[in-house]
Amino acid sequence: MTILRMREACFHARGASVGPVTVDVAPGERVARAFPSGRDAAVVALMAAGIVKAGSGIVLVGEFDPRVQSVHCKRIAGYVPHAPSRIADSEFERYVAYRAALWNVDPMRATAHAKLLMERLAGVHEAFAYSIAGALIASPALLVLDRPQPAYARHILAAAGPRAIFSTHVTASAAKEFAAAAADALPAMR
Amino acid sequence: MTERASIAIVAARLLVERRMILYACALAAVAGLARPHELAVTVFFCSALGIVAALLQTPGRYPDLDLCEQSAPLFGRQLARAKGVAPAIVAILVTLAYFAPQFARSPNATAAFFIAAAASIASTAVALCATLREGTPRALYVAFACAASAGAFLIAAIGTSFAGELAYCALVTFLALRQYGEALARYDPVPQ
Repeated sequence: MTILRMREACFHARGASVGPVTVDVAPGERVARAFPSGRDAAVVALMAAGIVKAGSGIVLVGEFDPRVQSVHCKRIAGYVPHAPSRIADSEFERYVAYRAALWNVDPMRATAHAKLLMERLAGVHEAFAYSIAGALIASPALLVLDRPQPAYARHILAAAGPRAIFSTHVTASAAKEFAAAAADALPAMR
Repeated sequence: MTERASIAIVAARLLVERRMILYACALAAVAGLARPHELAVTVFFCSALGIVAALLQTPGRYPDLDLCEQSAPLFGRQLARAKGVAPAIVAILVTLAYFAPQFARSPNATAAFFIAAAASIASTAVALCATLREGTPRALYVAFACAASAGAFLIAAIGTSFAGELAYCALVTFLALRQYGEALARYDPVPQ
């Protein structure tokens, strides 16, 4: 069983084509992949999270096809963008409540969960930590990271816990660096 | 989608645009003081501000909100309804601010208020479809939004049918929100 399956997945719209991409991620597995450009890495991460639909090939998120069952896919996958969040410290609680409402999570539980996540992400810059904590509030089975900072790999994996992680990177060295930093927690680096 | 999610989306959108809403209402109040009796001016002015409110929903202005909405487990039509309510509220507030000086003088402007508010909401809903497009299609949808407002004015002023204008605006709003929902469902938030 795989939580993410991409087979020759390509994206054609809005500029240059991306792909084909073939990757499998099993539950609990951590997979990091390098792509030739930042745009490619961003598009593949968006496809893996079910936010963007593949123009050709197959993408299945937990057996659901984002082209027809995107809502189911988005319940399974949590997406962390590359760009730092613009949320101010004073807005974080409101941001957590907002995300809890969108994912239909109890607000009290979400706030407690967010505080725990922020403790685990201590040392990570807030602009990145808020995005990661926000994505994990709904407890997704798969965490998709768009070009995460390798320096924060240990913190990210600590916050993510045993769930599957798929991360995209711009270069093989960045992917390796991410893997090396989290070597203890990355049993299946591909 | 739960009502909670809809309320959260509307509240978040209104909160981030609070300054713009305040300025728009102030501008409408001043305009209302200057030209309170011209129905054509009223309808087009309120519709124009409604169109601007809709165009402020264009993805990219608030990337954190955009990302949350796009990655949340919501159907396109559900998200469209929630995102459509925010500029519609702005359109109503602007129209109310425009009519506030008139209401202060005499309460006989109620019919004109409803005519302007309905036209403003319809044009706002049409303009929402422009937010997911670029170039010529975007300009065309803005033109359609202006045309929707003009149609509402013609039915109300020349056709002298208040009920007809309301029915027309309801139909235009319904069709525009459906179109916006379908566009949202197909929309790929990919960097160029």
